[in-house]
Amino acid sequence: MSDHQDFIKHLALKLGRPTPASVEPINVQVPHYQLNSPEERIDTLLANWESLGGKGIKAQTPEEAVQALKSWFGDPEPKWLNSTSIITWGELPDFAQNTFNQLHWTTQSYPDSSSERSARINVAAQAQLGVTGADYGIVQSGTLIQLSNARRGRAVSLVPPRHLAFLAGSKIKDELAEIMEELLTAGAPPAAIEMISGPSRTSDIEMDLSIGVHGPIEVYLVVMTEL
Amino acid sequence: MSENKPYDMQEALDKALKDDFLRMATRRATDKLRHQKLDAANQLGDWEEWREAGEKIRNQVILNLDYYLKQLIENVEKNGGHVHLAKTPQDAVNAVQEIFQKHNAKTLIKSKSMISEEIHLNPVLEKDGVEVIETDLGEYIVQIAHEPPSHIIVPAMHKNRDQIAKLFEPIAGHSLTSDTPTLTKFARGKMRKKFLNGEIGISGCNFAVADTGTIAMVTNEGNGRMVSTLPKVQITLMGMERIVPSFKELGVMLNLLARSATGQRLSAYTTLYTPPRREGDVDGPEEWHLVILDHNRSEILGDPDFRASLRCIRCGSCFNVCPVYRQIGGHAYGSVYAGPIGIVITPLLEQDYEKWGHLPYFSSICGACAEACPVRIPLHDLIVKHRDRKVLTGQTSAIEHQAFRAYRYYFTHPKVLRHFVHWGARMQFVFMRRGRIVMGPPPLANWLKSRYLTPLPRQTFDDLWPMLERRLKKIELQRGEQK
Repeated sequence: MSDHQDFIKHLALKLGRPTPASVEPINVQVPHYQLNSPEERIDTLLANWESLGGKGIKAQTPEEAVQALKSWFGDPEPKWLNSTSIITWGELPDFAQNTFNQLHWTTQSYPDSSSERSARINVAAQAQLGVTGADYGIVQSGTLIQLSNARRGRAVSLVPPRHLAFLAGSKIKDELAEIMEELLTAGAPPAAIEMISGPSRTSDIEMDLSIGVHGPIEVYLVVMTEL
Repeated sequence: MSENKPYDMQEALDKALKDDFLRMATRRATDKLRHQKLDAANQLGDWEEWREAGEKIRNQVILNLDYYLKQLIENVEKNGGHVHLAKTPQDAVNAVQEIFQKHNAKTLIKSKSMISEEIHLNPVLEKDGVEVIETDLGEYIVQIAHEPPSHIIVPAMHKNRDQIAKLFEPIAGHSLTSDTPTLTKFARGKMRKKFLNGEIGISGCNFAVADTGTIAMVTNEGNGRMVSTLPKVQITLMGMERIVPSFKELGVMLNLLARSATGQRLSAYTTLYTPPRREGDVDGPEEWHLVILDHNRSEILGDPDFRASLRCIRCGSCFNVCPVYRQIGGHAYGSVYAGPIGIVITPLLEQDYEKWGHLPYFSSICGACAEACPVRIPLHDLIVKHRDRKVLTGQTSAIEHQAFRAYRYYFTHPKVLRHFVHWGARMQFVFMRRGRIVMGPPPLANWLKSRYLTPLPRQTFDDLWPMLERRLKKIELQRGEQK
């Protein structure tokens, strides 16, 4: 700890004053992005999400989501479906759970898949689709936000080649600043807050866009309009 | 620049200038990044207001760096993380080595970290028998090629697809076509296995949030998320100035960073992690180390002339507008950080003008870098300050001293200057071809290799002045009569 004190003291010396006991908060003004209605918010978020390379729909009921999932992944079921090919958070929104119940596609809860870390990672690596909820959406950047907890699992939206998220329409915010304000007052943050804007991308080879070098290659979003 | 060969500026520049692909690729990439940035900046409303906010936030942090750093350290330790404060690059390397020894770990998966380049971490770990896997696609390519990155955002900008396919082939064990999907798929498959078995993960830090102990990390590929999700042990390397006070300021900075770096509204993955994992969490590191590097940043902090350079958020937008960078690419600088910001910080981080004194001349002082900077660092002013300081500390060459002495002499002796110009105009034909001065005595000869000078006129302003003076007097007289 004394090393720490010396390190800090050295900086104070360089700044030519003792370390202050408190610092005035920074007051900055930046232009804000604001839409007028919840409908506009949902539509613009979906448009931005699609412009990033994702697919998305609005669904009032699980029945509507069922149709979309069939058209995306296969009707009546995906070619790659088996008992381990769909992993999910341990706590999915009821809407999402209902959708999968109606589809009769077998899902496996990632947190419950094994008590052993490396076995769980292998489960994620074998899966073809990861299904999650989302805590917030950001219209301006076409972004989903997920807060980690013990019933979720960060690998679900990361390791499989496809990621499907269910987002409540009421959780869509116009801009990042609104989320930051909420986080500011929410107390200690979780271990991870993941902001996801489209599929994994890179332009490392001759500035040519390529999708899916590490994270999901395909990303899907269902906005639950009545929630 | 290879790891063991000393840097030779002339050789590096010749190599860059003769490499047509490098120059084309650098221009293509920087053009694209620059235009994407302008589009993205325009979408945000008044970009100048954003830059002003960015400058203000970063200034406040730098001027209170001791306060915020203390707060960050306290919060990281409260959360259960381990803080290692490194005065020197060697201290930082030692801290990382100790963590590897403690776990007897032999595999490292790494997402992009400029600090790891700054402290030259990879060769040391490799010598210790650790398999180091760079997982950013661009970093992976330059790692296999045994080269340093040539751009802080696009590390393999200087490589073409055929060269990349050739680099991948021995690892794949079969031939590969050079189309982007094939190369990407190969890299995905190759690195996926490494991710699943990596013992320790190392990642960089875009911003550290002082009041929560959170690290913000921005990637597009998702490798940063892999590194912070899968291994049991994670190490984060950060430069000590990369702090924001709270989530509120972080929001502003993330907007500025993504738009300035790649012209995105937000990067594909922005992860705010506050490790280690919480009780019951099924992934994320069980043990987390934060290595905070000084490496003479404290000297910059104590130097009001250059303090503004600590505002930098490493977006690379000064690279993309720099006419010099666009011609020579990153390797010709010889330093870990290239481009205008590299010119400014390298001599300060290394505290060495002898080795890095050439850098302040890799600039045309056009000011495009300062204009592009999202936190308004007056980069061209700082580059001039370096030149100034080199003169003041006697670090400039004898020829430069002589030249300026001659300049002072002639410009404080008008008669001699007039004489010089008069005879110069009559003798210059020796150095002229097709109406231009194209050769001259050393050291002018080198400069004239790629440029020419307009010749001195036969009749100078000085020659014309007596006649002009007479005319002016005549006009004044006529005006007087009219009144």
